[in-house]
Amino acid sequence: MNITDKKHLLRAAWAGALVATIAASQAASPSTAANGKRPNIVIILGDDLGFSDLGSFGGEINTPNLDSLARAGVRCTQFYTHASCSPTRSMLLSGVDTHRNGLGNMDEWTAPNQVNQPGYEGYLNDRVTTLPQLLKNAGYHTYMAGKWHMGKAPNQIPAARGFERDFALLDGAGSYWDMLNFTATTPVSTFTEDGRYLKKLPKNYYATKTYTDKIIGYIEANRGDGKPFFAYVSHQAPHDPYHLPRDWRNRHVGAYDKGWDAVRQERLKRQVELGITPPGTELAERMWFVPDPNLLAPAPRALLGKKMELYAGMVENMDFHVGRLLDYLKAIGEYENTIFIVFGDNGAEGADLFKMIAGTPGTRDFLFAAIQWSQTHPNAWGDPHSYVGYGPMWAQVSMTPFSQYKGNMAEGGIRNALIVSGPIVKRPKGSINRGVLHVADIMPTLLEVAGARYPETLNGQELPPLIGKSWVEVLAGEKESPRSDQDYLAWEMFGNRAVRQGDWKLRWQYKPYGTEEWELFNLAEDVAERHELAAAHPEKVKALLTLWDDYVRANNVILPSRVLWEGMEKKLPDRYPVEAGFPPLIYKRQFIPPTNMLAEPKP
Amino acid sequence: MNDATKRPGERGNFAPRSRRLAAATLALTIFCPMLALAQVPPRFYWKSLSGANAVPVIYQSLSGNANPVDPAHVVSPDSSVDANVAIVGYARMMPLFDRTLTLAVLQPMGRISGETSVAALTYDQAANGFGDPMIEAGINLIGPKAIRNIPDLLRYEPKLSLDVIVDLAFPIGEYDSDQALNLGQNRWYGRLGTPVVWQIGSWVPGRRTTLEALPSVWFFTDNDDYVGQTLSTDPMFQLEAHLTRDFTEHFWGSLDSTYVAGGKSTVNGVGGDALNNLGVGLTLGYQINDNLSFTAGYMATVNDSDPGDLQMDGFRLSLTYGWHKIVEGQKRLKE
Repeated sequence: MNITDKKHLLRAAWAGALVATIAASQAASPSTAANGKRPNIVIILGDDLGFSDLGSFGGEINTPNLDSLARAGVRCTQFYTHASCSPTRSMLLSGVDTHRNGLGNMDEWTAPNQVNQPGYEGYLNDRVTTLPQLLKNAGYHTYMAGKWHMGKAPNQIPAARGFERDFALLDGAGSYWDMLNFTATTPVSTFTEDGRYLKKLPKNYYATKTYTDKIIGYIEANRGDGKPFFAYVSHQAPHDPYHLPRDWRNRHVGAYDKGWDAVRQERLKRQVELGITPPGTELAERMWFVPDPNLLAPAPRALLGKKMELYAGMVENMDFHVGRLLDYLKAIGEYENTIFIVFGDNGAEGADLFKMIAGTPGTRDFLFAAIQWSQTHPNAWGDPHSYVGYGPMWAQVSMTPFSQYKGNMAEGGIRNALIVSGPIVKRPKGSINRGVLHVADIMPTLLEVAGARYPETLNGQELPPLIGKSWVEVLAGEKESPRSDQDYLAWEMFGNRAVRQGDWKLRWQYKPYGTEEWELFNLAEDVAERHELAAAHPEKVKALLTLWDDYVRANNVILPSRVLWEGMEKKLPDRYPVEAGFPPLIYKRQFIPPTNMLAEPKP
Repeated sequence: MNDATKRPGERGNFAPRSRRLAAATLALTIFCPMLALAQVPPRFYWKSLSGANAVPVIYQSLSGNANPVDPAHVVSPDSSVDANVAIVGYARMMPLFDRTLTLAVLQPMGRISGETSVAALTYDQAANGFGDPMIEAGINLIGPKAIRNIPDLLRYEPKLSLDVIVDLAFPIGEYDSDQALNLGQNRWYGRLGTPVVWQIGSWVPGRRTTLEALPSVWFFTDNDDYVGQTLSTDPMFQLEAHLTRDFTEHFWGSLDSTYVAGGKSTVNGVGGDALNNLGVGLTLGYQINDNLSFTAGYMATVNDSDPGDLQMDGFRLSLTYGWHKIVEGQKRLKE
């Protein structure tokens, strides 16, 4: 090394130190209210909540409280989660890619070649730290109520991962009314409260209500001590089964008899009016195995519509309880100094989970379902022991205008609605942001807000890097996206994969939902992913594949040796494009002759 | 469990499920046994799809100190009358001004025998043949609107329903003026009533519970040729009540009671006592298939220790066949 080199090195070291100092000072400079108190943080997570369900995103569902947050803050239309829930949650709370934080696959679907591999533990592993832990270290109270789904062992539960108070459903789903779960081998849901496993649930338990009560109770218990709080309200709603108090079930009777196509079109129209999507946006193709509702008889339409009625009730009920929390925060004077972050954890659920669990007579789980989950009459939907999900047709509605839904790498699987409001939002109230955001951005954002720092090590082990980027400048209106044109996002779940850079997205999905080939889409022009462009832009495919390879190497992506898509192509009808109004034969209406040409038969 | 397994909707499953539900609902509602000797069975006033039809066949074995076929229940102390009666009917529901209108006709037939006394004369007699046909028209005033299609049927819940009914019997049944016991009554009679169905809890097959009541007033003209005498009966108040409950999706039961008051009968102006009687009973019902339902019941008077009290008991079996062209058509198409 010569002198010049040394000078360069010193200059670089100085520059590096300067940048580090600036960065550190920025990281250590919390957002504060006029009274000097750091803002409270409330994350409201809807489980399987769809992109277009909220009124502020074009939905017809009545969500005044969540919409009030949208009016007070900013709506983000290019916010990405993962394709299913525990991976999304793991990135939310760790800021680290799923393949490194333990949820490289969902615990329920770990493939044989992923077993015992680091990053695929099926729970949030101990090689990552968590947002609540760091916020707690930074002087925040940390509360959680609702679904956890990132581990059940004592060292994996909320209390072990940084939450000071918790009331948590550790499973991925279950009854909203009691501890009943879905299978003979896991008949009972596991709950914790403040780090202890519950023997039974509190009286008058209903998930959405109880979670809200608990969070309010936790805030109330400590509100006099002057510390800010972080509250993670991880609602089970509106995940199926659609368990719902009776007085919330009949608020949309008959409203969805018109069918999914009509509701999708109405939502798209409102989205354009609201500015959520630009004029001219195409709707994604109706899934090829979903019938045109106009061809169904009134009774099936009513029955299927009733499922959507239930779902709408679930969302409205959740909104009601969100409203209770907002009212409480207003009443204690904390609303104005609270950051709210609202989103759904993945695309809406289009699969028939119940059929998958209990669909085969003669099996153990079918017997369990016959005993515990057989309240199948529509009038029982919502009651304990009933199981209703709304199916792929309504899931597509929830994901208007996108293609597909949860579990897939189409936009309908990974893009969701995001609302951020509170003191860090300096943009005009009710504005819309179109920057590319990611759930893993939330951790660096909130650490910055809290004046906390992401440590380099944990228990002597080097921590994996945060993959997200802070939104503070975006929310301040200083830029549109935290990402440059060179930054990229990538996903892998159940063997399906995708990578996005700029407006371009490369996607690989198992048949029949995908082609088992890399498909290329330009999301700026084709948010519905209707126009595949790989053949027209091979250079773009190549460039994105390079990024994909980079992602795989950086995150130890192990493609699963077994996937839940196996055999799916044989089970579903052949896939042909869905063209509205085709074939004309079944859409022809009765010919009405001119009345002046009518005649009786001649003798 | 929260996963992303793709198990898409299956097109072929949509129609059969709705058809099954519609058919089951159809059979469960309209086609309960019809009017049976002044006892309307439980669940009779549940509503069904407009255009639905029913043919009930009811068999009753009755005994008492009054002619069981005569709703006036003219008590004849120390008498003993047995009746084996079948009733065949037809009922249809239709919309009227967006409310459910039910029209029904019933034809009793059978045998009756025993001892009875009129004006101090005792008759040991038997009769057989057809009784007086009766028509009933009822319209719902409070409760769900007329069920015009299967979606409406699937959404039907009575909640609190109130109807107004008019019954009228035509005096054309078998009648022998020399006999005190007849299947026909040789006089016009009928009633006005207001059936009420109160749904208690959810409306889920297997869990449905209702409290039902039918307050009504019977009116009778005179029988001017009652073994040579004139039989007159004052208006009679009747209150029927049923507490019904599903045991399973297809099997239900009911606790029944009937109270009658008034209805004092006189023969040539010589009077008996006004009625003031209570009967209690139970009914079990079972839906055999989409079209056919079955009930079995028993009822007996309870405050009947005095000679002038009405004493009566009886068994009732019924089969009711119901149909609607839409449901039948769907069944023909299968899946």
